[in-house]
Amino acid sequence: MNAVSIRNVTKTYGSHRAVDNLSLEVPTGSLYGFIGPNGSGKTTTIRMILRIIQPDQGSIRVFDSEGGSAANDQVGYLPEERGLYKKLSVRRMLKYYASLKGLSSRECELQTNRWLEHFEASEWANKKIESLSKGMSQKVQFIASIIAAPKLLILDEPFSGLDPVNAESIRAAILQLRAEGTTIIFSTHDMAVAEKMCDYIFMIFRGDKVLDGTLESIKAEYGADTVRLRFNGPRESLSVLPGVQRVTDMGEYQELQFNGDPQAILSRLCEQGSISLFEIAQPSLHDIFIRIAGEDSQAALAEGAAS
Amino acid sequence: MNKILTVARTEYMIAVTSKAFVVGVIMMPVFMCGAFVVQLLTRDQVDLTARKLAVVDRTGQMFEKLDSAAQQRNEYGIYKSDEDPDAEGDSANRKQVAAKFELERVDSSAANAELEAELSERVKAQELFAFAIIDEDILAPGTPGKVRYHSQTPTYQTQYRWLQRTINELVRQHRLKELEIAPESFAAIASGVEVEERGLVEANSDGTGQETKKLDKIATLAVPFGGIMLMFVMIMSVAPAMLNNVLEEKMQKISEFLVSSLTPFQLMLGKLVGAVWVALTLATIYIAAAIFLANYFDFSDNIPIHLYFWFVFYLFIALTIFGALFSAIGAACSELRDAQSLMTPVMLMVVMPMMCIAPVLDSPSSTFAKLVSLFPPATPMLMFARMALPPGPAAWEIALGTVLSIAFAGFCVYAAGKVFRIGILSQGQTPTFGKLLKWIFTK
Repeated sequence: MNAVSIRNVTKTYGSHRAVDNLSLEVPTGSLYGFIGPNGSGKTTTIRMILRIIQPDQGSIRVFDSEGGSAANDQVGYLPEERGLYKKLSVRRMLKYYASLKGLSSRECELQTNRWLEHFEASEWANKKIESLSKGMSQKVQFIASIIAAPKLLILDEPFSGLDPVNAESIRAAILQLRAEGTTIIFSTHDMAVAEKMCDYIFMIFRGDKVLDGTLESIKAEYGADTVRLRFNGPRESLSVLPGVQRVTDMGEYQELQFNGDPQAILSRLCEQGSISLFEIAQPSLHDIFIRIAGEDSQAALAEGAAS
Repeated sequence: MNKILTVARTEYMIAVTSKAFVVGVIMMPVFMCGAFVVQLLTRDQVDLTARKLAVVDRTGQMFEKLDSAAQQRNEYGIYKSDEDPDAEGDSANRKQVAAKFELERVDSSAANAELEAELSERVKAQELFAFAIIDEDILAPGTPGKVRYHSQTPTYQTQYRWLQRTINELVRQHRLKELEIAPESFAAIASGVEVEERGLVEANSDGTGQETKKLDKIATLAVPFGGIMLMFVMIMSVAPAMLNNVLEEKMQKISEFLVSSLTPFQLMLGKLVGAVWVALTLATIYIAAAIFLANYFDFSDNIPIHLYFWFVFYLFIALTIFGALFSAIGAACSELRDAQSLMTPVMLMVVMPMMCIAPVLDSPSSTFAKLVSLFPPATPMLMFARMALPPGPAAWEIALGTVLSIAFAGFCVYAAGKVFRIGILSQGQTPTFGKLLKWIFTK
């Protein structure tokens, strides 16, 4: 059974088509990564799944329910732009969000205590939100999104602005929830994180679905057309190598997208400098993203890397 | 429904446990009492410096009498314990509460203009506080003569009023003497006849008429005026706060999180219900205080019981109308300054009944009063005011006003819900009125 089933959905704002005839199935229990440049339609898709906005055409079923708000009680949501009631205490705010998801007063109390303990934040329970650090606020917001034990959890940039320690604790919680059977939709600009965590990748670009499937199947689709190279010679010579279509500097190494004979590339490189790594590989998700979104996506990726 | 009540309960608890509410409800009487006490304490803190008045008496008969009156006042009229006969004449034990008046005769045959210039200089040099020029012909009846009082402190009216009162009394006495009329006879002739205002006879159940009551104009106007003012204060303290509340949640990105758990309409309705509860809590406190004070001052006959019901009912309608409109504006805007232009027409609707209050209270059964009290945004305040004034509106007017205002409140909630649904997640430019209308009628 699919947790989310999107069929031929279109959403238009004025003359701008934000989502165009989109179909997508999110299997129950999977961790589905949503990627795409800014303004590509990710947030609109997420909002339609949450029934915050309605599609112009097509249908969206969440746990086999198409209308009403009952299904939303089974959905947890962490928006990209975080907001909490600054004047409320952590406990009071969490209980409020839990009660909006239909939890009884006793369940609210139990779940609040459970998750505060999990994140070692019990001592902050009676502190006002305004007194929390940014990292702690984000943890509280994350707890608010999972406090009602949702069957579907939608996370929009969950690691944005977190230091490595806090990011790791959130990452561990996400993986734990997936292990417990929660379906997770995970929107991010950080391709490395998406590659490491997600079972499936969905990419939307200018309102159209351009990628959908497991990471392996997506990479297999692109084939072994990439050379990973650590080269101690003139960098400008890489782009003029025979069959090389694109050069991406990954910092520690370079990625060359090629179309032709890799042996010819290797021979030419040996003439020009020393090589400490030469590996024929499938393209990284980062590279695939750039190939699809082109230069428009550089800013989005830079933003993702920074966060 | 549960989610609406959850939002309402939370909004209510946040509001009534806030410092602003506690200060508004509990501290307000404390502040008012404090202000009263401060007034009492500062009441006697007046400038007791003697006010020197130069008098140019062209009649040649007034100065001595004026001076005598001033001395009389200085001796007996400016002390706190003047009413205590034991204190009379014993100035050491009396507390002076007003300045003495010292009069100076100015004998001069110079023209008024010349005298005015000279004495003005003395006032500016603070040798004098003021000066008065008494025309020669003020004593004869029907003459155009007058007394001119010159001062550079027009806000100090005590001396001017004393001079006016004293000179008139002296002139009256002079004229009575000239006409050989005894002052007692004149007082008897000039005494007025009271015209008493009374209400109408209300028939008892046995057919006999009750005795009519004497009408107290202030008491009659106090209920409608007080009711309108209280309703206005309730609306102004709750409805605009909803705009801030919604806008703040939108700016702090709380709304997007909330609308993943409930629909925007449920969220708006929950906030509205919470705000109405807050206002009704405030109203209950103030009404309880009003009932207590009405009983204490034996005023309760002026407030029929049904008026309390109508006050709460119309307050509920008004808060629903204006709460919905203000929350829609909050949802449609992205910044507080953008809300100003959209707020203006709604604020005009709130204050419109206040602008119509005088003609409605003056003629509650006039066509104008009937029309404005049937205009839905004004109905809560103005229909209540008319109901509080005898003879009150006809039953059909109350029924029509009630139906129209309920229908309008329903439309406001519907329209606000539509604006809220789209506006709460929109960012950027504030929508125009045209765009808001489009949002309302978008499916």
